[in-house]
Amino acid sequence: MSFEIALSGLKRYRLRTALSLVGLAIGVGAVLVTVAIGNGAHASIQDQIRAAGLNVILVKAGNYKTKGDEIIEVQAPHARLTPLLDRLLAALVPEVLAHPENDPMEKHDHPTAAERLGDAEAGLGAAATLTQEDAEAIADLPGVRDVASGVHENVKVFLGERRWFTRLHGTDVDLPKIRRAHALSAGRFFSARELRRAEAVVVLGSVVRDKLFPLEAEPVGAEVTLWHQSFRVVGVTSSANWMTPGASGDDEFDAVYVPFTTVHRLLNVTNLNTITITADSTGEVSQVAKAVTELLRKRHRIADTAPDDFTVVTQASEVLTKGLHPNVARVLAGNLPNLERVTLEELSMTLERSSRTMMALLISIALVSLLVGGIGIGNVMLLSVTERTREIGTRLAVGARAKDVGEQFFLEALLLSGVGGVAGVLLGIAASRIVSGSFGWKASLSPGVVAVSYGIAIAIGVVAGFFPARRAARLDPIEALRYE
Amino acid sequence: MGDISVRDLKKTYAVGEVRVEALRGVSLDIKDGEFIAVIGPSGSGKSTLMHILGCLDRPTAGRYLLGGRDVSQISPDERASIRNREIGFVFQSFNLLPRTPAVENVELPLLYNGRKLSRSQRRSRALEMLASLGLSDRALHHPNQLSGGQQQRVAIARALVNSPKLVLADEPTGNLDSQTSREIMELFGRLNAERRLTLVVITHERNIAACASRIVELRDGRVESDAPVRAS
Repeated sequence: MSFEIALSGLKRYRLRTALSLVGLAIGVGAVLVTVAIGNGAHASIQDQIRAAGLNVILVKAGNYKTKGDEIIEVQAPHARLTPLLDRLLAALVPEVLAHPENDPMEKHDHPTAAERLGDAEAGLGAAATLTQEDAEAIADLPGVRDVASGVHENVKVFLGERRWFTRLHGTDVDLPKIRRAHALSAGRFFSARELRRAEAVVVLGSVVRDKLFPLEAEPVGAEVTLWHQSFRVVGVTSSANWMTPGASGDDEFDAVYVPFTTVHRLLNVTNLNTITITADSTGEVSQVAKAVTELLRKRHRIADTAPDDFTVVTQASEVLTKGLHPNVARVLAGNLPNLERVTLEELSMTLERSSRTMMALLISIALVSLLVGGIGIGNVMLLSVTERTREIGTRLAVGARAKDVGEQFFLEALLLSGVGGVAGVLLGIAASRIVSGSFGWKASLSPGVVAVSYGIAIAIGVVAGFFPARRAARLDPIEALRYE
Repeated sequence: MGDISVRDLKKTYAVGEVRVEALRGVSLDIKDGEFIAVIGPSGSGKSTLMHILGCLDRPTAGRYLLGGRDVSQISPDERASIRNREIGFVFQSFNLLPRTPAVENVELPLLYNGRKLSRSQRRSRALEMLASLGLSDRALHHPNQLSGGQQQRVAIARALVNSPKLVLADEPTGNLDSQTSREIMELFGRLNAERRLTLVVITHERNIAACASRIVELRDGRVESDAPVRAS
């Protein structure tokens, strides 16, 4: 009976009822969407941490040490000498001075000397000594999962009249396993057989595909021209994450991938510029990097006191130097052994923590909007009690007990929050579907989250209904009847 | 002894530090089926008397027997029950629920009478009541779509729907023009005659009071005169 009375009370003030329902529904919906976005973003960040390849080790041909006012001396990672001996050695061993152009950390807008002239002429000499045999030896080390050799060139890719100047990566079939941020959006990566036979096949980065092919064209199976040779397109690789789409000038998607054997055959070279390695686990990265260094020094017959003729870079150093001024980056990268004290686990935990902080922030904002919705209901009910004082008086006069009147207003608030909560849940689920659909995230709304936010909505209704209801029940019938 | 018996009724209010004696000892007997008008200037205590007779308020002192039962010191919930079953109210400003059809206004007392009538039973009782007052075609109109006289008739239907023995009307014609006032008073007269309804009408207009069979005049919280109306 009281339920019916409450319902008719709400029906009488349709607009007000609808508005307070909307207010609460938006509050509940906002909480759910925020949790869904937070969960999605959190999962996405974790994907990115994995995709960023914190277990990746990059070996680059050549080493660099620079000397200058702002440049700090670099200590080779293997050196375990007392500071005194270190200083003595520094006096005896001449510093290797290199042109900044040969800094592998440097970005260039033109082909570098090494790229124009080849390593030997560019003065790197014995530095460009990474070979496929080195790569194969590294693959046999314990803790190493994948190894991909790399030769990198700048090329012009032609397709009929169109051409695009981009990066060429001669690489191995295992590269897709290492580059987890990549997804083949069409076709496939080149095969082991094509690698073995040094075939003229190419995988296009998404930016190159966009530049060369019209929107609707099917690139897979088409022929493009590199170095006056026809290459068959076997696949297109693009970013696996919507947050980091390829952009022209980047090294990953504004690039083409061909078997390194093909590059060797066509350019008549045998060296590698890089060897990309993944460790079995991120925790082993430092160990593997050290083992790689020792192996390569042995293979390259480098005397104990001589510097490496290669550079081992882990993702941690890349992350830490990204976006920094080249000089600063050089100092950081040069001091890599010290940086490795920042373990990769710490790095990923920091990212994890910041994503959690972000989520907490979002949820608190959403809770505020839920609270506002609740206050809205409380406000409407209080206003209602005041505005409907005569109604209350009339009800009391025709025989309603104080309890009946209190019940009516309490139930009205509860109905508002109950229905508003259901609407909010539906709204939240729908909105998070849309959000996750358009962002490519997993919709991650657990039933627990839905239950908790609905519970909060009901709790708000109880609180928002209690005080107005008590006030209504305590009204004096004579006063209430006279109220204007 | 009549159905309503009031003995030495006193009511004192505290307005701030001042004590206002609204009733200073009213004694009154009202027989079953009587039609009484209570008149008096404002401040004479007639509204206070009606509130106590209507069980909306409790006297400070004195005895109030309703149908032989002393109801002067019963609990608020018991008073609510008496208001619901034994008393009907008609107000000066009608006090209909806004935005609510006439028929639902008439149903209102049925919602609280504890007899758990079904929705359709309530509806048919209310419609019957409206029909007996000639308002069948207005059942679904909202109060703001009705004239003053029609609103007051809806209010009377509401007062009668639980078949009370006593109807209290507080200035029922105060917001109506003289023609409509006459009609409403004629209606009261008919109800009193046909249903043996005990009617207490509070008014300050002599010509309205003249419709009753007995006039009680209050002044300063006391009964000044109590006399039957001579048939004219």
